[in-house]
Amino acid sequence: MVYWCRERVERMAGLLGGRIAEVANRDSTFRVILVAPLQLLLWFLLIVPTLIVLYLSVVNWQPIMGVDWWQAPLAWVGNYARVVRDVRFWEAMARTLGVVVAAVGLEFLLGLGLALLLRGEFLGKRFFTSVILYPMMLPWVVVGLVFFLLFLDRGPVNYIIGLTFGPDAPFDWYGHPLSALGVIVLADVWQWTPFMFLILYSGLGALPKEPQEAAMTLGASPWQIFRYVMLPMLRPIIYVAVVIRALEAFKIFDLVFIITRGGPGTSTESISLYIYRLSAIYGQLSYAAAMAVLILVMVAVLTRYAVKPMEQQQVPQ
Amino acid sequence: MRGLLPLVRWVAAVAVAAVVLMPVVWAVSISFKPPAEWAAHPPRLVPEEPTLANYQVLFQVGNPVGVVAEMTRTAEPVTRAFITSLIVAPLATAASVAIGFFAAYAVSRYQVGGPMLPFLALTTRMFPPVAFAVPLLVYYRMLGLIDTRLGLALMYTGFTVAFPLWMIKGFIDSVPRHVEEAAILDGASRWRVLFTITLPLVKGGVAAALLFVFILNWTEFLFALIFTSRHAITLPVQVSYYAGAVGRFYGPQAALGIVASLPVVIAGYVIQRHLVRGFTFGLVK
Repeated sequence: MVYWCRERVERMAGLLGGRIAEVANRDSTFRVILVAPLQLLLWFLLIVPTLIVLYLSVVNWQPIMGVDWWQAPLAWVGNYARVVRDVRFWEAMARTLGVVVAAVGLEFLLGLGLALLLRGEFLGKRFFTSVILYPMMLPWVVVGLVFFLLFLDRGPVNYIIGLTFGPDAPFDWYGHPLSALGVIVLADVWQWTPFMFLILYSGLGALPKEPQEAAMTLGASPWQIFRYVMLPMLRPIIYVAVVIRALEAFKIFDLVFIITRGGPGTSTESISLYIYRLSAIYGQLSYAAAMAVLILVMVAVLTRYAVKPMEQQQVPQ
Repeated sequence: MRGLLPLVRWVAAVAVAAVVLMPVVWAVSISFKPPAEWAAHPPRLVPEEPTLANYQVLFQVGNPVGVVAEMTRTAEPVTRAFITSLIVAPLATAASVAIGFFAAYAVSRYQVGGPMLPFLALTTRMFPPVAFAVPLLVYYRMLGLIDTRLGLALMYTGFTVAFPLWMIKGFIDSVPRHVEEAAILDGASRWRVLFTITLPLVKGGVAAALLFVFILNWTEFLFALIFTSRHAITLPVQVSYYAGAVGRFYGPQAALGIVASLPVVIAGYVIQRHLVRGFTFGLVK
């Protein structure tokens, strides 16, 4: 009896398992199962939140109002109108864009210089390249902490400045907006120049050698070869590297949070830090949502224009 | 002139390496200094009286270790944050790379979801994460996911999945279809083909994606700061607590920074070798 039961159960389980395996092996089901987790994840974390942020931005809702968020009164474009008139928003925006331009510009120049410098073979090259790459692995907050410690009143940077320029030269780096932003930019440059270097270095390595040799035979100077032969061929890769880095730098939050907390006052606040404070600290979710929507639109439009020349350009071979 | 070039190049490389190493060397030095030396004038690279107290207070707050204990009374031990990071980052990394791998295969072989799906996934990386944090705050509160490790891991999976998708897709594109078709003709199921034929051929890409996503998840700060408060704070958030609330307490700050960085830097250098192997063995050409 027991045996019979077990046999039946086993056979049924076997049949069921076989049926499941058969269905899962069908071409149509196979595809759906493969991509379903990604689609669920995107619905859960991208599409639904985007709909919610659009909704929040046209209503007037704060958690302290005591109403559920789906019952909030409509505000139409009220939140957007407030953002447009918000001086603190525009200042944070200008500041963030300034940091992006300064940091990405410096990273590009330094990364390109390093890539050109380290092109040939030399003693200890493997060691140097692996040393140069490690800052990318560090947590942003740790980089912020390290640079915070370097530029302290009685830190090593001020000590060296004091030795070189006399005892009055040491500087209160965090007391002035521009110098505090300078420390933030330096920290970003220190951490992300390796990224530029990595991309430009592999880009340089992939360039065809013949045009350079031809130019050399025709008597072009090294500068001319670089400027008129290598740089044009490298342009698509430069584009990709700069766009990726600029998008990342625009998100800047961790470094500002650790190094200055946006201070003194709000004079070093980045756009991400401002939206963080509005939403997570002040609880003004609708206002923050309107700001977030504006940022989404702005980044999308800018990226569209930045990507356009990339599409039109063909890699010259 | 030609003979000088290697020397110039070498000197420049040494200078660059020094600039890259010095900031962290300074932090390491502070992490071994007693409080009196943290802001000593003139600053010294090598501590006069090296101590482990800064590391000890991280894990056992309240244990009397002189002035440091006095200053750290308000700070919490980092053990909990460490454990959270050790759970959330690997979990989210595994989920992200697995989901990315399956989707990459579907996109590469069958163009499932249309040509826009990979780009849709990429939009999670394009925009500042804070823009998604605003609606997620509402959403997560409703679902009771705030301040949970699960909620954080879910978020990390979603906001990193674009990388494995794109990285592994490139590898799968380069695996010729006839290899898989031959196995299917021999009677292997599609799943068997996927795991025993395709996966080993693209393992270089999978390893690269694993490392990359792990670094992102381990170092993520903004979401962890917003969505956790007590139970599920991660190491980067703990670093920010030490850096902010307690003020001038540089030794333990530096020590915590070192502790928080070690896992990623070690993972990076361990996998680096496997990456090289993966890239050379993984290519079918």
